[in-house]
Amino acid sequence: MASGNTSKPPGEMLGEAERRRFADLMAAVADRQDRTAYSELFAYYAPRVKSYLMRLGADAAQAEEIAQDVMVTVWRKAALFDRVQASVSTWIFRIARNRRIDVFRRAKRPDLDPEETMILPAGVEAPDARLEAMETETRVRAAMRDLPEEQVNLLKLAFYEGLSHSEIAGKLDLPLGTVKSRIRLAFGKMKAKLDDDG
Amino acid sequence: MIKVSTAPVLDDATRAALASGRAEPALGLFVDILMEMRGITEAEGQAFAGAVLESETPANMKPDALAMAFAAIERGGKAAPVRRALAYPELETLPAALRDAIAAAEARRGWSYSGPGIKRLDLGVPGGAKAEIIRLEAGRAVPWHTHKGQELTLCIHGEFSDGHAAYGPGDFSAFDGSVRHQPRAHDQGTAYALAVTDAGLRFEGFLGALQKLFGQ
Repeated sequence: MASGNTSKPPGEMLGEAERRRFADLMAAVADRQDRTAYSELFAYYAPRVKSYLMRLGADAAQAEEIAQDVMVTVWRKAALFDRVQASVSTWIFRIARNRRIDVFRRAKRPDLDPEETMILPAGVEAPDARLEAMETETRVRAAMRDLPEEQVNLLKLAFYEGLSHSEIAGKLDLPLGTVKSRIRLAFGKMKAKLDDDG
Repeated sequence: MIKVSTAPVLDDATRAALASGRAEPALGLFVDILMEMRGITEAEGQAFAGAVLESETPANMKPDALAMAFAAIERGGKAAPVRRALAYPELETLPAALRDAIAAAEARRGWSYSGPGIKRLDLGVPGGAKAEIIRLEAGRAVPWHTHKGQELTLCIHGEFSDGHAAYGPGDFSAFDGSVRHQPRAHDQGTAYALAVTDAGLRFEGFLGALQKLFGQ
């Protein structure tokens, strides 16, 4: 079990009230260096960041060290957190991702593959008005619950683990074309859900 | 007058590569800013990743992990930094990622003089490519130049021309080393560009993708 008072069981996403509360905790850290607030954020996020890093191939000791580092960065950069732009989870994910890139840069850096480029009709993904982050976060979660598990998994591999289409094809032992069309379908559905609900 | 491109749409593979930040960091920054200036955000992809992080099965941290974090915080000396004002207020409204990169670079070494009416700010991005902000006062021009490698130049504020085309915020050029160009700020005011140079590294595949996505 995770250290600290994480009330949520693993596998569940935060509800809107909890996300709001975590944003309040970030504000407490930024405004008055509140250690209690920080401890709660640490208890929730450090073990998850560690998991994320191990999923991407770090060993336990390395993951622990980087997770530590990420959480120290959370304290130091608390003033830069902006709840209008992102949830705490999204913000911390970004820090973890960047930290991991710093650490593993030399290990592996595939070029972008221009062959994977496909252009959709212009304007399809350029929204007329931006949704507020809080709203986007809520809707992304709703879409995740409604999409078939197979499609959520594809989106995870692409956005969370950051694999390229060809890497995903290799991992799932599927033809590249199939992976491309399925990811396109899944992402399209997620976006369609966002649009429908708007 | 200003070169306008249609709104580009990133395919999922490129998007995923960018979202995971595995491209050259300077290029990642360039495209993030470009997309944001064109009104295309990574909001859904990043919100998705944040939500997945929440549903991650927690891995045990060592019992003294929190104490060690506080120790590291204290060793660092200072608490959460105060948001610093930028040297040039017109840059405050840039996309947050770029604004913060500029603030950090100003704190590290600041702007350097690069000729009359010209200043540069190295963003100190890790990796093999260099990302810098070039500030051109009204009517001022960077000397005609070519490069060893390739150069991407994105107009982030004001307007400039380079002998080939005119650029406003969100417009960019991509030149390889053989093309001479000379960005000159228009007379109406100061212009700023985000320039990424590769110093002979491997931009080719990336430039091909960029051309397909954003080119006319």
